[in-house]
Amino acid sequence: MDWGYINARMRGMKSRLLDRRALDNLVLQPDLESLIAELEKTPYKSDIIEAKVQYTGVLCIEYALRKNFTRTFRKILTFVKEEEAEKYISLFLHRWDVQNIKTILRGKNIHITNEEILDCLVPAGELDEATLIELVRQPDVRAVIDMLATWQIGYSRPLTEEYPAFLKAGELALLECALDEYYYADALEQVKLPGYNNGLIHNIISLEIDVVNLRTLLRMIRDNIDPKEAKKFLISGGKEFDERQLDHLLTLHSIEEVAEELKTTPYRFLADLPPSVMRTRKISVIEKQLERFLVQKGVGAFLGDPLSVASVIGYFWAKYNEITNIRIISRCKTADFPLEQLKEELVYV
Amino acid sequence: MVGWEVPIGAAIAFSAGAIATGWAQSRIGSAGAGAIAERPETAGTIIILEAIPETLVILGFVVASMIILMVK
Repeated sequence: MDWGYINARMRGMKSRLLDRRALDNLVLQPDLESLIAELEKTPYKSDIIEAKVQYTGVLCIEYALRKNFTRTFRKILTFVKEEEAEKYISLFLHRWDVQNIKTILRGKNIHITNEEILDCLVPAGELDEATLIELVRQPDVRAVIDMLATWQIGYSRPLTEEYPAFLKAGELALLECALDEYYYADALEQVKLPGYNNGLIHNIISLEIDVVNLRTLLRMIRDNIDPKEAKKFLISGGKEFDERQLDHLLTLHSIEEVAEELKTTPYRFLADLPPSVMRTRKISVIEKQLERFLVQKGVGAFLGDPLSVASVIGYFWAKYNEITNIRIISRCKTADFPLEQLKEELVYV
Repeated sequence: MVGWEVPIGAAIAFSAGAIATGWAQSRIGSAGAGAIAERPETAGTIIILEAIPETLVILGFVVASMIILMVK
């Protein structure tokens, strides 16, 4: 396994990511047209030119970002083909399969057009564009699950199991949670053996489970959901919180109490949030902080052993963060957001 | 009178340097190829870096020569 080659390529690719100055320059653009023109001076040039043929405004940027993200990770997969690294990277990219299946299920559940669903997909995972188009062509949720089962794709298993509950309750969240649970359990299972790479991936995935659980938990508490009901939506395998601790957190009555309880954990930054956030129960602010924490930890993987999968993981998070930042800028430009507020929304790593 | 130890010593000095150089160049070469693939403008630097381990085999050659010439 030639980790030196992979590491050099990842670092080369990282050097082309937009730095703080480039992002600030994008923020300072007065409108969407100038933002698009500015993006044409960055490595997104070819994607923007391609997107401009079909779309204008924010849709053009969204399309270009999706294309760029997909192309970037397909490229990484080509130079790690049949190497040990492929397993780790594929495992990490499977999250886009989960995300795409969720998007398709959501689209089918609320009966939006196939074109609208296709516009939201990011074929960066194992399911390629042709597979996803075929899934989108299915008439309803049941047909999508059946199609996955026909192709013997693992995600059909949790969906088939949970489908009766979804039919009964009509809550798509049940299917989405089952998918998440399956993805994380499968990922943790694949990296359970000792070793630096396995440990690194295990660490970051279990950290992500914690963040997902905290996010769900805070929403449940905000909406006063019964703890027994809420428990169904939590995922096992977290790093910091086991089942018992999550059960305890679920019994708390307010977001302030949860933040207080987290003071002894790495999530103590939530307790430092302004009281107004807690009072107004603004989950979005807390979620942003959790996202920031996760991205910083993920990008921090770059500091790990260069002759390991660390640089790929670090790059994944850095790229993801860059795309998220550009999306935020474009959305804020559309909504005429004040400059200072826009800057606060961005995550610099 | 020179015994068999001298050519063996010279051979060890040269071959150890050569093996080490080969190993170092293989690692630098693969990482360098990765760097050039992403940033072709680094080619000049990579070629210099690739050549640095050559000093090791040259040193081995000098030591081997000295063993042969000086040990009598």
